[in-house]
Amino acid sequence: MSEQSQSTQIQNAPSASEDCSYRHLYVVIEHDDGKPVPVSLEMLGEARRQMDIFNAKYSSNEKVVAVVLGNNVRNLCEEMIYYGADAVIYAASPELQYSRNLVDTKVISKIARNADLTRNFSPEYADSFKKPRYMFFAADSIGRHLSSTVMAELESGLASDINKLVISDLDIRHEHKTKGQTIRYEKTLEMYRPDFSGFLWTTILCLDNRNPVAPKEFHPQSCSIIPGVFEPLGRDTSRKGSIVDYTPEFGEHDLAVKVLGRQVIKSVVDFESHKAVISFGRGIKESPEENIKLVAELADELDAAVGISLPISKKPYPVSEATSSTYMIPDRVIGTSGRKVAPMLYIAVGISGAVQHIVGMKESGFVIAINPDEEAPIRGECDMFIKGRMEEVVPLLVQELKKQRPAMQVSNR
Amino acid sequence: MIGMRSLNVAVIVKLEPDFSEGNVSYNADGTLNRAETKSILGPHSAIASLAAFYSKVRYGARITVGTMGPPIADAALQQAQMLCDADELHLYSDRLFAGADTLATAETLKAGISKMQGGIEGMDLVFSGHRASDGETGQTGPQTAWKLGFPFLGNVIDYNLDLERRTIRAKRLISLQGFYDIVEEIEAPLPAFVSVDPSYQPNFNTVSQRLALGRYRKEAAERSSNYKQYLKVFNAQQMGVDPKLVGLPGSPTIVYKVEKIPKAKASRKSEVIDGANPEHIRLAAAKIHEILSGAVVK
Repeated sequence: MSEQSQSTQIQNAPSASEDCSYRHLYVVIEHDDGKPVPVSLEMLGEARRQMDIFNAKYSSNEKVVAVVLGNNVRNLCEEMIYYGADAVIYAASPELQYSRNLVDTKVISKIARNADLTRNFSPEYADSFKKPRYMFFAADSIGRHLSSTVMAELESGLASDINKLVISDLDIRHEHKTKGQTIRYEKTLEMYRPDFSGFLWTTILCLDNRNPVAPKEFHPQSCSIIPGVFEPLGRDTSRKGSIVDYTPEFGEHDLAVKVLGRQVIKSVVDFESHKAVISFGRGIKESPEENIKLVAELADELDAAVGISLPISKKPYPVSEATSSTYMIPDRVIGTSGRKVAPMLYIAVGISGAVQHIVGMKESGFVIAINPDEEAPIRGECDMFIKGRMEEVVPLLVQELKKQRPAMQVSNR
Repeated sequence: MIGMRSLNVAVIVKLEPDFSEGNVSYNADGTLNRAETKSILGPHSAIASLAAFYSKVRYGARITVGTMGPPIADAALQQAQMLCDADELHLYSDRLFAGADTLATAETLKAGISKMQGGIEGMDLVFSGHRASDGETGQTGPQTAWKLGFPFLGNVIDYNLDLERRTIRAKRLISLQGFYDIVEEIEAPLPAFVSVDPSYQPNFNTVSQRLALGRYRKEAAERSSNYKQYLKVFNAQQMGVDPKLVGLPGSPTIVYKVEKIPKAKASRKSEVIDGANPEHIRLAAAKIHEILSGAVVK
């Protein structure tokens, strides 16, 4: 009896305060001098879908808020509204032209804690606003670190490299969070991340400690999102929203890191100007050196660029220095951690088709997979599945392509 | 370097499953077989150790390597010492630390760094790897930096120090998805926290640097064969951590469930052909020529 009443108490007290202190979904936008990085639009699209469901389900009126830091990028703020934001909080300063972790973290954290900024687009919740309910960042070389430091500053939880999100009410029983009791956590963001193997999906939750021994609120619930997995909305200039200006103030230490120079580097590997891309993965492992040569021959025959799957860039197999430095390099990686390609023809040799790789090639025109395993996920991502070991299939194919070479001229319409 | 305060450098490392071919073992369902896969110093931790070693060869840094983990994690410290000739090895080990997410781990590591020579005030430069191969979040480094109050410099591919001005000048590699890569040159005052890009490679250009390199490498080999002599083990109490901020209580996040990724709905309907059948290969080749000549519009 007493146990039951205690559990009810635990359940109600923090969740009541939680519900009026934490509102909205903030999306931290990345751009290069006003040009949005694609993942920014993808995050906005997903945020819009999530909050539309959320507001309908919970009869509330919480907003998708884009957070933009930059210098002279007001046009970008308008674009954010066209792509799904209800409101944009815009911090403008020459100091914010390029992303710098230290000063950006300070500015974003201050914005996240500022209730007044929300008054313009959400007066009904502004008085009790403490922090955002949810926050999205990009899982790329800027957002990964920025999300970490912002969440260290806001003292809340962060899941990285997310490719699926669900908001739901969950009954949680946890050794520490609930001290073994079952407690309902409402409006919880289930954050799914594919693990290193590409086979497992781990769901991460950011939950308040409702353990009476050490209660603590953890908001915002936040994550970094894998580029290329969520669909952006179509650009709709009839969408309306408000742009709220925020004037950042800097302490001396905030500006301690100076950018002395920036140099854009052209990729060594040119995927764009080839009609075909041929990628290889761990299927080369039985005789890596020879198999890479086979791939190179096929690429030569088709004037194709050569790509690899992520595991290959970690140089898991012994090969000659020349082969390693030519082919097993990060620049060739296609997928989440690398480049995105969309050639007319994509040939995946010895690639199983982990989701991380598919992200990088799914826009290709015609996809051929060469693989001995018909159960491999790549089977569902290709138009033609050549069943067989690459050692046997590739030489036959090269031979046949050479034989048929003249036919190319006539088939052009 | 005479008359100047010595340079205190820390490296944060992690013991991880060895994912290299031949050493890693997978279960039938494709998941990692942890029992059969041995653990080693993580590859990114190794690169961080090499970056720290550069500061020893070039600037005579005093290096402490720290790790949070169970007692067997001292193997990672030994391997790191081999790479960077560490003067001291720290193992932060306590059951209170178990179940920590990145934020709670960062709290422990901050407390660990406070136990290093000179404490946090005396620390000049902290290195961490880009990300762990098993967790792969890449969050622990920057969160530790933030808790220390040090500027965080990520994706560093090259660095040099100005000991007189006590600054670091570094190049970092930023990849803007969908656009291009940028090499950015930055300068920050010490102390600073550096996470090292996987492509980092130290360069030793002068004869005196190469001589120092040989000397320190020899010393590193000797030291790491007696690594226990350099090892200090700390528990939570000795580190003075607040139990509410580490381990499970200090972790905002939990792992709610782990499941096999359901096979994605096929996004294309594939025609399966037999790679051993010459007639099939002939058709495949014809199809390829057809596509590349522009005769097929999908």
